[in-house]
Amino acid sequence: MEGFLIFSISILTLAFVYVILCLALNIECGVAGMWDLGIVSYFGVGAYSYAIIVAPEAASYQHYLFGFESNPIYGIALAIVLGGVSAYLIGLPSLRLRREYFLITTIAFSEVLRITFSNENWLTNGVAGIYNIKQPLKSFFTPDNYLILLFVIFLCISLIVYRMVNRLSFSNYGLSLKALRENEALAKTARIEPGKQYHSVYVFTGCLAGLSGALYVWLNTLIVPTQFTPNVTFFVWTALIIGGIGNNRGAFLGAIFFVILLETLSFLNLSAELALVVSSLRIALVGLALILILRYLPNGLLREKPTIIR
Amino acid sequence: MLTVTNVDKFYGGVKAVENVSLEVGEGKIIGLIGTNGAGKTTLFNVISGFDKLDRGSVNFEGQEISNLLPSKIAKLGMIRTFQTATGFPRLTVLENLLVFSDNNNFDFYKNFLNKSEENKEQIDKAEELLKKFGLFEKKNQWVIDLSAPELKILEFARAIMGNPQIMLLDEPAAGVNPALLEQLMEIIKELNGEGITFLIVDHNLRFICDISDFIYVMNDGKLIAQGNPEEIINNELVIETYIGK
Repeated sequence: MEGFLIFSISILTLAFVYVILCLALNIECGVAGMWDLGIVSYFGVGAYSYAIIVAPEAASYQHYLFGFESNPIYGIALAIVLGGVSAYLIGLPSLRLRREYFLITTIAFSEVLRITFSNENWLTNGVAGIYNIKQPLKSFFTPDNYLILLFVIFLCISLIVYRMVNRLSFSNYGLSLKALRENEALAKTARIEPGKQYHSVYVFTGCLAGLSGALYVWLNTLIVPTQFTPNVTFFVWTALIIGGIGNNRGAFLGAIFFVILLETLSFLNLSAELALVVSSLRIALVGLALILILRYLPNGLLREKPTIIR
Repeated sequence: MLTVTNVDKFYGGVKAVENVSLEVGEGKIIGLIGTNGAGKTTLFNVISGFDKLDRGSVNFEGQEISNLLPSKIAKLGMIRTFQTATGFPRLTVLENLLVFSDNNNFDFYKNFLNKSEENKEQIDKAEELLKKFGLFEKKNQWVIDLSAPELKILEFARAIMGNPQIMLLDEPAAGVNPALLEQLMEIIKELNGEGITFLIVDHNLRFICDISDFIYVMNDGKLIAQGNPEEIINNELVIETYIGK
């Protein structure tokens, strides 16, 4: 029973990282209608920003910049800032495009960044990655209690992000994004400036993805470039589609549902041969869930609903 | 109020609008007619900032607005409609109006730092408009669920919400049944009585003649006639363009 509890807490803690990514994608895509396949870019930038200043100094056989072993709070702050800055810079060329052209550009940038993480040894230690990144406050707790602490911290952060995203979604700003999503030409006649609105929401998404990248490294204590493949983007999209695009509660729920679905099979106690089969089945199971959701609940578990103002 | 001077608009080698000049006086209803492909909507797009002009100028209230962004032109008090009235399909009827409130603040930082208060005054105004146009019962429904006539009427309510000085209507009579057309004409006349100026593009000659104070006629990108409705319906060039020799 205790093992199951610890397992559940670990899975949910990871799920909260995905919750933040899903909420970020939801305000960008579900609310503003920007079809982005590059959210992993800012997730990666945030993760590396956190890692290179929180990690200890590089050993003689390693190469990476900084390694200040600094306070994780600075790491998280840097992850948010650099996530936003990279989104701002990537947004300058890519936000001139719309729909599928924007989508292709964002996935291209995400691959450029992943290859950069793999090849710039002096900055990231290349494919060997950075590991042994200390978890803050760990020395004060037993391993089990530390898991609970992480669970509580990540839950609180994801709830704060949910509240922030939800507030923005239902503000005048959110209304302008929804208007752009629905009819850009008409939105212009409502005095809405598409360029300004798209760029600001893109940077905001970058900041949130950067935050989730930092939390991901905090949880895993290591970072390697293969953690930032386009799979992450597709996983977040899948989670959002399952939860319900355009609904922040759906995004929250979808992320949790998705991570439980993806990770549960990893922890089944099976024979070696069967484990091999089941590990391949994980992705197939996610695909099946996606197909079933699209077939029977095309708007997701919690669909977007009309906003009742009074 | 609105002056268009010697405007040209080319798409590659195609002259969509050529040397067109027109004037819209304050408080007037001005019609712009022409057959399909005459260049009416292109001219509309140029005036409202959706297309860049290649030559000439557009002045609104004494200010040059040629090639300004549509959102900037809208801020000056010029609101336009589109041929297909779809509105914002997955926003509620009430939200469709609130988007057009002239005191909206869409800035990210302001909305991020302060919870934007529901603007009671604007909601009241929007609800009043919905009552006036018979859409109040549907205020919390998505616009995608409205019928075509309701969408046409919503267009007017939405535009009025933005306190326009001038409304540019792009083919308001297209696809509209006679009963609704009567209703739309009444709405336009009522709003005109309240001080809103109109520039209306359509190819329905009878509708334009019934409602306009002055009419411009376009064909093949050029102005071919102008005058009051009586002059226009008796103009041989107009008759020839519409009916043939």
